[in-house]
Amino acid sequence: MATEPPPPDKYDIVAAYQRLLANDHDLTKPIAAIEALVDAMATTSTETVSETLETLEDHIRTLKSSVSNPISLSAGTDLFQRYLITTLNRPSADLTSPAGAVDFDAIRNQLLTNRGLFASRAKAHRATIAQSGRNLIRDGARVLTNGGSRVVAALLRSVAETGSVRFQVVYVLDPDAASQEGEWSGPAIVAMLRAKGIPVATIPDSAVAGALAEIDLIVVGAEAIVMNGGIISKMGTYQMGLLGNIKHKPFYVVAESHKFVRILPAGQYDLPIKQRAIDFKVGKEGELVSIEHESQGGYTVEDEAVDLSDSGASGGKTGKKDSDNSENPVDYTPPNLISGILTESGVLTPSAVSEELIKIWF
Amino acid sequence: MSHSMTAQAPGLSSYLKSLRSTPVEASIEHFIALLKRRQIRNSRPCALATTQLLIQVVKEFKGKDADKLLRRIRDVGRRLIAAQPREMVVGNIVRRVLGLIREIKDDNADGDSNAVNSDTGSPLPHHDSFNRPQLASSISTFMRHGALPPMESASGPESLADSGELPHRPALFSSHTSYAPLGTSLFGLFSQPDTPSNTSTPTGRHSPIGKHTMTASALERIGESTILKRTNIKAEVLEGMNELQDELEQSDDQIAANALDHIHSNEIILTHTASTSVQKFLLAAAKKRKFTVVHAEAHPNDHDAVHATILTGKKRDAEVISEEAGERWKPLTAAGITVVLIPDSHVFAIMARVNKVILATHSVLANGGLVAAAGARVIASAAKVHRTPVVVVTGVYKLSPVYPFDIDELIEYGDAGNVVPYDDGDFVDKVDVDNPLYDYVPPDLVDLYVTNLGGHAPSYLYRIVADHYHPDDINLSGAVEREGK
Repeated sequence: MATEPPPPDKYDIVAAYQRLLANDHDLTKPIAAIEALVDAMATTSTETVSETLETLEDHIRTLKSSVSNPISLSAGTDLFQRYLITTLNRPSADLTSPAGAVDFDAIRNQLLTNRGLFASRAKAHRATIAQSGRNLIRDGARVLTNGGSRVVAALLRSVAETGSVRFQVVYVLDPDAASQEGEWSGPAIVAMLRAKGIPVATIPDSAVAGALAEIDLIVVGAEAIVMNGGIISKMGTYQMGLLGNIKHKPFYVVAESHKFVRILPAGQYDLPIKQRAIDFKVGKEGELVSIEHESQGGYTVEDEAVDLSDSGASGGKTGKKDSDNSENPVDYTPPNLISGILTESGVLTPSAVSEELIKIWF
Repeated sequence: MSHSMTAQAPGLSSYLKSLRSTPVEASIEHFIALLKRRQIRNSRPCALATTQLLIQVVKEFKGKDADKLLRRIRDVGRRLIAAQPREMVVGNIVRRVLGLIREIKDDNADGDSNAVNSDTGSPLPHHDSFNRPQLASSISTFMRHGALPPMESASGPESLADSGELPHRPALFSSHTSYAPLGTSLFGLFSQPDTPSNTSTPTGRHSPIGKHTMTASALERIGESTILKRTNIKAEVLEGMNELQDELEQSDDQIAANALDHIHSNEIILTHTASTSVQKFLLAAAKKRKFTVVHAEAHPNDHDAVHATILTGKKRDAEVISEEAGERWKPLTAAGITVVLIPDSHVFAIMARVNKVILATHSVLANGGLVAAAGARVIASAAKVHRTPVVVVTGVYKLSPVYPFDIDELIEYGDAGNVVPYDDGDFVDKVDVDNPLYDYVPPDLVDLYVTNLGGHAPSYLYRIVADHYHPDDINLSGAVEREGK
């Protein structure tokens, strides 16, 4: 698809998606994906339901194959697809034309007019979560966190802004991590919190176990929340969960519910992405193998993107390396390590996630 | 539980008697005073008193506006919760009454809005309002055969896929099953924005309950057409509250109906504190089976009641409301059960020989943890070490939607004089004496909850919470509880 130049009338979903992400740093990947898909629906004129769904699927496939880690955005595309399908199957009355047939245009128009709402709603959700964070972080607490999560940052900021809660943050920062710029990178969040008068200590990944004794609770964000209530998050989250579990530290995930995604990883190596935490290399005899060029202690993320969907039809690559994902390795934290998932509608136990997903899929 | 409590001392029974003859406002103040003075304490008496008081509040309520009634109940509820935030069951009952009113209000609205269709965002079958069971019918039919259906509902979310509809629960709020635990489903992101209250509630909830998803024009039309129907709201609410009252009274028996599933012949059962629920549970099993009960005595707060329970079958000073007065109480020993009384300190030593631990609880929390009499966590931890199953018996009314962010604030400290008498001056001068009344037991130490709805894994409790409480009501006390501290 991408190897041949897209036909002029074809909507370039990947560019739209990247543009959306670049324009608004507050936007999460699932929401960007949804907005891109709605835009795609607006530009393409389809007559029938099945034609629409097919075009949509096509776009989703393209989008997923354009990034090396499509899990996060697939939460958005899945949600959108399921929403369309269920709405078309069981339309509510005001979307049904008097004859009783599904008024396809009505659904489409509704989506198009609501397009701007998705992002603002997602942001409102984040604000709600941040608000409820005040229950989570009590006076005198010392919080361990990592990554560059917008929700975690919003939550910590919200608690800091109350002014009445004194808390400290221990931030796990990878000193050589590649993506260190941007509004929501770890260093930026640390700076933001320090500017608000919150004492923040930064530690490397290797110091998590050592620091844990002085920690009261662990709060992490998530790229995606999988069906069993486990999370896919920045590499290093799993070890925080494991260590926290051993030391009986509460481990909370804060994430919006649009990050729920219907995959069920059996373990670290069962993620639908190509990423090798362990990458063996051997040099020729007598040759010194330099490790200089290996980023982040040897994690490599393959440039080759994988296709989350079953169909291999798309197969093609956009050729455009997704600069964001390839440098952000992830790992999977199983649900038994998670004390609770703080979403916009309250604290969920990990087992509640599956029910939400089942509700939209079946 | 104070030893000096007599029939004349202010307490549950005298309070219930006074309710009819006293003006509502005075009754509320009286109850608040009793709560503050701990003259009504523990989950069951608090639940009964709260229900009866709220019945009076509803009876006294003038007007036909459900929203005003909601506000009134919430205001009264806030005051009660603030009086004694740790008796979480008070908040539970208030929330359930609020949920009941909401349900009746929306049922009435639904009846008129069938034509107006309100629902834009929820195409899912179990969100469909029109096949929801009507309140009255569902209660009466389900209440009779209490024990059977709940087991189905415990089978977990997987069963939803088969049935396409949520399993009906046998209790009062069966039509509440249409609440998603999230309050909003994942599709909330796409819902139509033209709802008046969308700004305050996070995205349109599209459970058909709730006018949130109705269009403004639909609301107007309903407003005009439901005036007639609304006249019945008070009667319907009172009827629902009587069912709630029945549930409180029957829950122990319904729990006991499960006993034979959990207690087998020749088992050694360990229990703790004097609990009517546990006592009935064991007695029900004792009718058919022979087993041994090891009773940890819960010194220093509850040992007298434990001794009395072992000897006579009921707590000596337990307040018994009139319905139960005629009931025969008999001790386990009379049913041919061997009872062994041990001090709490022996729990670990004896745990190796115990087959099952059955615990009573003060309240159960939304994450599957529980707050129970001090000593419960020691027992649960010992059971964990020995891989002994821990079963908690509790009425659903003890299940609180409160999430335990801060465990310390759940624990109440009692009279230190129970540990060391105050006349032991030397001791009291030199040593700090603490007497925590409750323990928090985290969910991973509990294997099973047996409620009046059946057996549930701790991880499933979130679902029962979602079934029983309206998401908008959960926060009702959030702010208040903090103030009340």
